[in-house]
Amino acid sequence: MKIALGTLWLCLSMGALAEKMNWERAQFHYRMFCQGCHSPDGGGATSVPPLKDNIGYFLEIPAGREYLVRVPGSATSALNDGNLAEVLNWIISEFSGDSAGENYERYTASEISRVRVHPLDEVEHYRTKLLAQIAAAKARN
Amino acid sequence: MKIFDRLFEQQARQLAQRSSRRGLLKGLGGLLVGGAAVPLLPVSRVHAAEKPMDKGDPSSCDYWRYCAMDGFLCDCCGGSANTCPPGTEMSPITWIGTCRNPADGRNYIISYNDCCGKSSCGACLCQRDEGDRPPYRPDKTNDINWCLGTESAAYHCSTAIVVGVAFEET
Repeated sequence: MKIALGTLWLCLSMGALAEKMNWERAQFHYRMFCQGCHSPDGGGATSVPPLKDNIGYFLEIPAGREYLVRVPGSATSALNDGNLAEVLNWIISEFSGDSAGENYERYTASEISRVRVHPLDEVEHYRTKLLAQIAAAKARN
Repeated sequence: MKIFDRLFEQQARQLAQRSSRRGLLKGLGGLLVGGAAVPLLPVSRVHAAEKPMDKGDPSSCDYWRYCAMDGFLCDCCGGSANTCPPGTEMSPITWIGTCRNPADGRNYIISYNDCCGKSSCGACLCQRDEGDRPPYRPDKTNDINWCLGTESAAYHCSTAIVVGVAFEET
């Protein structure tokens, strides 16, 4: 009985996860709301930091994880919490390369909802500070 | 050495007894027919679907891809709807929207990359602005100069490049 209930729970939670993540929709949202500046392959441009091979480093520390939600392009975007979580997960999956660990925790709508209400007013200096913290954390590990 | 000769001879004879020339032809035929059938299998055709049926005149403001255009058409300036005229540089930073293609009734994602580095082209001014938003939504406004990330910020003309098919919730 326990096994049956466990299997049912697993199936239901897998179903819920599959329902939440729609990679085709996430790619569309990336193209509509992110690609204009971050470029089709996430490589960025002169004044736009590259997502490619870098974005996963921000997941090293909680403040970095929150940064990806608090940057104005995320926090103030027209996407709802679920779709923003989905597109961030898609970006990490597509572009992080070796910068993200294999078992990184996916964003959820509730996490986005909690964090996006504190958008960053200033990004550049904060980012520089954050990268130093990430480098220190990596050196410790 | 003799033992190897005998072993190979034995194996060759056994193979000859078990198989036939017809069998070889049958296998080869099956492979050819099967190989031809592989493209019919239900594999992803996303990339094929992303190429739209393209009707209309790219030098006319009425062309379907220009639904949110605000600028000079590169097609009239020595370039095309997809490419910049010689001597200009395509901006890597761009604004993106969707346009409905009347040929197939589907919505496509369009990237309006500006061509920069020369003064305004001045030919085929086109202003349709469908889906254009005020400047407080900077990623969806076409009123700003999108010659960003280029060597020169001088605006010359605009392209309208198909990025893919728009996602529609079913």
